[in-house]
Amino acid sequence: MTYSSSMALGRQQRSIGRNQNAVSFRSNERTLGPISNTIILIVLACLLGLLYLTQVTKTNAFGYKINDLQTQATQLKSEHDDLEVASARLQSLDRAQNSDAAKSMTAVAPSGTVTQ
Amino acid sequence: MDSQQNKQNIAAVLRRIKLWHIVLMLVLTVFMIRAFYVQVIRYDFYRKTALSDQLKQYEIPASRGTIKAYDGTSIVPIVLNQKLYTVYADPMFIKDPSKVAASVRDIIGGDEGKYRKQLEQKTLRYTILSKKVPKDKMDRLLALKYPGIGSQEQTYRTYPQGSLAGQVLGFVPDDGKGRYGIEQALNSQLSGTPGELKAITDASGVPLAASGSNVEDNPVPGKDVVLTLDIGIQKQVEQLLAKDIKRDKADSGSVVVMDPYTGQIKAMANYPSYDPAKYYDVEDGNLFNNTSITHPIEIGSIMKTLTTAAALDQGVIKSNSTFYDPSFYMVDKFKITNIEEDGGPGTRTIAQLLNLSLNTGAVWELMQMGGGKLDKQAREAWYEYLAHRFLFGQATGIEQGYEATGLVPKPEENGAGIDLTYANTSFGQAMTATTLQVASAISAVLNGGTYYKPHLVAQTIDAHGNATVQPPEVVKQGVVKPEIGQQMIPLMQYVVDNHNIVPAFNQDRYMVGGKTGTAQIAKPTGGYYDNDFNGTYLGFVGGNKPQYVIAVFVNKPKNGGYAGTAAAQPVFADIAHMLINNAYVIPKK
Repeated sequence: MTYSSSMALGRQQRSIGRNQNAVSFRSNERTLGPISNTIILIVLACLLGLLYLTQVTKTNAFGYKINDLQTQATQLKSEHDDLEVASARLQSLDRAQNSDAAKSMTAVAPSGTVTQ
Repeated sequence: MDSQQNKQNIAAVLRRIKLWHIVLMLVLTVFMIRAFYVQVIRYDFYRKTALSDQLKQYEIPASRGTIKAYDGTSIVPIVLNQKLYTVYADPMFIKDPSKVAASVRDIIGGDEGKYRKQLEQKTLRYTILSKKVPKDKMDRLLALKYPGIGSQEQTYRTYPQGSLAGQVLGFVPDDGKGRYGIEQALNSQLSGTPGELKAITDASGVPLAASGSNVEDNPVPGKDVVLTLDIGIQKQVEQLLAKDIKRDKADSGSVVVMDPYTGQIKAMANYPSYDPAKYYDVEDGNLFNNTSITHPIEIGSIMKTLTTAAALDQGVIKSNSTFYDPSFYMVDKFKITNIEEDGGPGTRTIAQLLNLSLNTGAVWELMQMGGGKLDKQAREAWYEYLAHRFLFGQATGIEQGYEATGLVPKPEENGAGIDLTYANTSFGQAMTATTLQVASAISAVLNGGTYYKPHLVAQTIDAHGNATVQPPEVVKQGVVKPEIGQQMIPLMQYVVDNHNIVPAFNQDRYMVGGKTGTAQIAKPTGGYYDNDFNGTYLGFVGGNKPQYVIAVFVNKPKNGGYAGTAAAQPVFADIAHMLINNAYVIPKK
């Protein structure tokens, strides 16, 4: 609604007295006052803050998951290293030399008789 | 009247409101000033204080590279890393020391009484009960949940092959820096680069993923090193050397087995040695030294092979030359003689010179380098070979800690009998060299004149599995003419065939040559010991060509006879037979 049309409407509905201000304007439009705006802004800020906190907490929770996975990876690496050591020890020359199979072997041929 | 009263009341209320408003504003102003002071002026201080609690900074250690070696054609680990645990106690919290000590003994082993004594010392807040405890045992002990018992993880080097090649490997103490051997020489490659983690953490130290200021630099693991050693050869060389040294009642001994065509070391052994896993038990620090490269000695008559090669290369003698041996030479008023068994004067061949190990023969060769006399020309010609072709007097650069250079006298006149000194060098006295240096020098002769850098590293492998192969490195070409090696081989075979080695080598199928050496040992105060000698041997074994050069040093054997023949030659023979019998040598075709 424009200013001119609302003025025209006022003139039709009201009687105009002498020395009376013939022009008056009363808008029917409902608007929010400054207090409401402030409250809404505060609520919005709170909501945004809450959203931020939710996301940060959620992201930080991944930190624990990552930490768990890293711990698990370290343990697996450690187990792998232990198994590698055990495997190497089981295949060592000393173990082979002292094995039953080695003890049951006969001496090698005299020098110069080995052929390939 | 009422209206007046009301107006006064309203005015009073308004005054009170104004007063409170002013007070409130003052308080808010104080708060704001304080907030400004804290948040703006003291920003850095409070930020640092907060971060010191929240920001954790860790160094992520890089895992040390492993060391591997060849077992035939396959590669096997000989040094690995293992996480072990130090079990400690805070005796203040131990309620029943006897019970805890018994549990520790049952699970870890050791002396229960010693544990109990440690645990009863209530004034101590930290005492180590045991080191290098495996994880399963540590878990079992901690499962008992004794208050005051804890554990700390630590990575240690572990040696699946036991003490094999201990002095070549070296060891790594608790500070993580390699000592001696490969561990010292390649410490920077093996140790890698530590990583870093800076992170905002929660109260328990767990990094918070949302922090934008987290920094994580992953560590770069150390490179794995693959040695040229063949563990089968190395093991047997160590066993044979130990057996022979004990039999000869010698102080110590060293052996180097190398490939003359690449410079690769196939075995490098010393006796006595030590177990690098128990380096802390070693009482004599000299035991850490790899004496094959750290202990130069006067090498004795094995030098005659090199003197002969130098004379042949200069064309001043021929391999089939004969010469008159007067049985002694007077040099600088000193008499240089041979051993009694060599007999008196007579005409000799070059092969006999080597087989009988004639000192006079070596001096005669030196004299030929000077046009028939021992003079400046002869000294300079011989020095050229000693220092610039056989590369004595300088480190080979092998990947080992504390390599010695040895000593070669300068050829210039020094007013102290330089001719006598040089006459002595022609048969391996008055100069020093290591076992490795002589093996490298004769390799250069036998392969036709190329001095390969002796090396122990065959390849390095990074964390991504990328291997960098170490190719043979030529240090010098034209050490001798290519045909000189071919001339030296039969001369050295002649020595082997005429030295009563039992069982004899089958020269029809294999090529085995060598030369003994018995060296006098210099006194620190000057002169030589009368009754102590070093035995040395320099030889090769192969099929169509020399496949392995073997150098042997035996220090102060006490089994009688000439040290070279009685002590060092059997070591060479045992090793050469072992190589042949175990099919490490490709026979002649």
